[in-house]
Amino acid sequence: MSSILTYIAISEGKIKRSSLEVLSRSKAIADANGLACEAIIIDENASSFTDSVQNYGASKIHIVEDSIFSQHRNTPLLSALSKVMEASKPKVVAFASTEGTKDILGALAANQKAGVVADVSSFDLTSSGVIAKRPVMAAKVVGNVEVTGETILVSVRSGSYELVESPITAEVNTIEFSSSESDLKAKLREIISATGDTIDLNEAETIVAAGRGVKDEEAKSLITELARVLNAGIGASRALTEAGVYDPSLQIGQTGKVVSPQLYIAVGISGAIQHVAGMANSKVIVAINKDADAPIFEVADYGIVGDLYKVLPPFIEELKKLKS
Amino acid sequence: MKFYVCIKMVPDVYAPFQIKDGELIMDADRMVLNAYDASAVEEALVLSEKHGGEVEVVCIGSAKASETIRKALAMGADKGSHIVTTGDEGFDSGSYANILTAFLKDKEYDVLSLGKQSQDTDSGLTGSMVAELLHLPYTTNAVGLEIENGNLIVKRQGDTGQEIIELPTPCAVTCSNDMNEPRIPNLKGIMASKRKPIDTIDLASLGISESDLSPNSKVVSFEHKPARKAGQKFEGEADEIAREVAQLLDTEANVI
Amino acid sequence: MEDKFDCIVIGGGVAGLAAAITLARNNMKFLLIERGEFAGAKNVSGGVLWGHDLAKLVPNYWEEEDAGWERYINHRRLTFMDEQSTFSLDFKSKHFNETPYSGVVVLRSKFDNWLSGKLQEAIDASDYAMDSFIATNIKVDQVLMENGKAIGIKTGEDEFHADSVIIAEGVNNLLTRQVGLQDNYVPADHMLTGIKEVIRFDQQVLEDRFQLNGLSGMSNEYVGWATDGVEGGGFLYTNRDTISLGLVLGIKDLREKKKSPHDLLNHFKTHPTVADAIKGGEIVEYSAHVVSSGDSRAMPKELYKDGILIAGEAANLLMNAGKAIQGMDYAMRSGILAAETIVTAKAKNDFSSTTLKEYRKALDDSYVMKDINNFQDAVHLLHTDTMQNKVPNLVCDFGRQFFTIKNEPTPKSEKMLLGAIKKHASLWELLKLGFKARKSL
Repeated sequence: MSSILTYIAISEGKIKRSSLEVLSRSKAIADANGLACEAIIIDENASSFTDSVQNYGASKIHIVEDSIFSQHRNTPLLSALSKVMEASKPKVVAFASTEGTKDILGALAANQKAGVVADVSSFDLTSSGVIAKRPVMAAKVVGNVEVTGETILVSVRSGSYELVESPITAEVNTIEFSSSESDLKAKLREIISATGDTIDLNEAETIVAAGRGVKDEEAKSLITELARVLNAGIGASRALTEAGVYDPSLQIGQTGKVVSPQLYIAVGISGAIQHVAGMANSKVIVAINKDADAPIFEVADYGIVGDLYKVLPPFIEELKKLKS
Repeated sequence: MKFYVCIKMVPDVYAPFQIKDGELIMDADRMVLNAYDASAVEEALVLSEKHGGEVEVVCIGSAKASETIRKALAMGADKGSHIVTTGDEGFDSGSYANILTAFLKDKEYDVLSLGKQSQDTDSGLTGSMVAELLHLPYTTNAVGLEIENGNLIVKRQGDTGQEIIELPTPCAVTCSNDMNEPRIPNLKGIMASKRKPIDTIDLASLGISESDLSPNSKVVSFEHKPARKAGQKFEGEADEIAREVAQLLDTEANVI
Repeated sequence: MEDKFDCIVIGGGVAGLAAAITLARNNMKFLLIERGEFAGAKNVSGGVLWGHDLAKLVPNYWEEEDAGWERYINHRRLTFMDEQSTFSLDFKSKHFNETPYSGVVVLRSKFDNWLSGKLQEAIDASDYAMDSFIATNIKVDQVLMENGKAIGIKTGEDEFHADSVIIAEGVNNLLTRQVGLQDNYVPADHMLTGIKEVIRFDQQVLEDRFQLNGLSGMSNEYVGWATDGVEGGGFLYTNRDTISLGLVLGIKDLREKKKSPHDLLNHFKTHPTVADAIKGGEIVEYSAHVVSSGDSRAMPKELYKDGILIAGEAANLLMNAGKAIQGMDYAMRSGILAAETIVTAKAKNDFSSTTLKEYRKALDDSYVMKDINNFQDAVHLLHTDTMQNKVPNLVCDFGRQFFTIKNEPTPKSEKMLLGAIKKHASLWELLKLGFKARKSL
């Protein structure tokens, strides 16, 4: 039986939620089209994740386990994926659109002579291949794309699909793989984790995002306090990461991270279209901005028109009460 | 160091447009140098100014694309190659990657650099495709480049932080627009650009016919993005509305 | 000096482009500098380019598919407006269909960009294909002077030299002031603010609604209620699949009456006649910019100096005498005349004011200055309270009586007219107005 294969991304010892969203979608497509729903995990501890993955309906899980996968490195990742694809000849390989995926998707397509479509907001199987929707033109427009090929690679934006559990007992297929550091032409010297122990935005249930309105230390500390109360990740608009107020890895938007938390609180963010493209999939959006005409209010479920210095203290205080 | 920078002419995504019967119609014929490519050109110029070297740009496109090459030359690139196509609307990332590969396969260079994606399509595939087809070590989404002992040191924005990657040359890298602020050509640059060489190359001389480039993917139609509905807007006494919304988040939205 | 140009043209608007095309055609070595990212980038305006000069610069422009203009005018309308009614002078004629057209509607960001393409073609065909340039995204900081004569320009740290400089920088004429040809202070009552929305329709709907055929178009000017008592008027032009709808408002009057252009435009759009015209349209662009009123008192002291000529709106060449808003055609003609003067100067190898004053003479002899001088009274008349408020009210009131059929005896028209006059003005006032109008128009 032909299959749809979903790549499960592991980051810092955890499964990326967005890969399970993609797996949930793959499962639905597999069921509707009589395909096998398979998954692939490539990590130094790949086998430890099979239980969680079979919970989302993968009937077969390919495992590639090697210490080289402790960090993201494109060369071994490409070799491992190619090897699995050559062995299992899937019809579709689906990825969550992470930075790791973006690093290898084109190369994998070229290597496997596969059709490819990146960063889609939805996709489906047709008789001739895959049809997908993806935001284009600085996310102002949606393009409908048709892809053909014996194998087609698809990467999916975070938050495009809901998680759907469908537990099954999966067959685990361990794939032999050996790669040593010396095979690598590129050398990964180090990873500077600028975000420290803060919450990964792609996975966060709640995000507090700061924009141009957050001008000084006082505002910044209000943002930190709000995030602490809600156990939220902190993000920022491009204006603030460019100005060096927040680290570039925290940038949310079309050119930064695409996030989809349950609750997104935009503080002092005007809502430029590029920013909105990165957060419009959030379930509930709260906007705090003193400009009543700011475009962010057009996408906000709850818009508070007011000065963040005046709004945030009582807002935080009330949330603290509700939390306790 | 010899840099090849692949650049692309793209429609100005900030120019007005409309969608009619699924077709995207730009109101004005306004084409620009892809912003990510401009960052790649800028970084190559900075590195060659610092370490010595040469920057050559290569661009695939219609006759009009020569304006985009001129722009890069006006910024300071030394030379341009224009791979002329009759029209490239139907090309996908794979088509571009195949042409670039055919052009670059017998060229000598140290660093092949590209924008990480096109402003109009945001696919981000061509760079790693070319690297794979040319068997080059590569990395993507660079936010900083440096040269050390003949190696390219890339600061890459990854999922968990900034990865510092050392690539031997020749290698390929795709650039984020977060790495620099591309220079705006000054008048001297604009004037000098007119005298810089641009080679024009046709596909046939690369051993390619346009029919060989039939893309695997094509955009069949465009539509407006689904609008998110605006919810309630609260105006008034800051203390009051802040508390009211906090409570609604708990009782109504159920997200606290 | 190797890099010395015959001329540096500052500004890639209509005047600058017209000048540069003329220079290229005459094999001059020049540099055109535009501040925006491309010609037209900084221009949000639009309107009607009247007259035949475009055909001189771009012969047979009407044959080109997808040229930079929107529609040609074959239907003109002047509308008087009160709160509930409109009363129009309406003229449509087949003779307007003949080429060259007597006016084309343009959207400047598109038109200027197209015209700059024509300039590039002219440069490529000239002897100085490699030496003449269009340089965009460059701000000229200063016109370089030596012994009272312009010798070039400065941008950033770089200096570029030329025998002459044509300043076509537009209404915000900082360089014109810098070289001392205009006082730093221009009174607010000589300045207007233009505010405009571009509203899109399905092209068929637009053509049916305004009875357009092929590329024919209409222009409509409004006086009266449109501006809610503020000095100025309204306009509507049909583009390909959009209309430009807006107001031109006196800045001084706006300040005194404490009104905002934005609110006034919304007010204008609520008029039933306008509301019907724009129904179902989608606003795709909104813009505002400053224009001069065409009051000749706001013109620079002189339009030439050793090595310098001033063209277009930088020279305040603009007029609204009630018949039409003219500016782009003046800009085009002044650009052409300035360039022709430079060509003469080059031949004589004399770029001093002795030769350059010929520009002023050519302009004075042209329809541009003749009209500006002859119609000053009309400009003033148009801006009087009588014309702005009383006449529109009176005309509409008369119209309401004249065109309303009730099942009761109808008074004679003359009585209706007299009644309307008495209500809104006085007969004497109107006689005065009529007399003035006869003289000034």
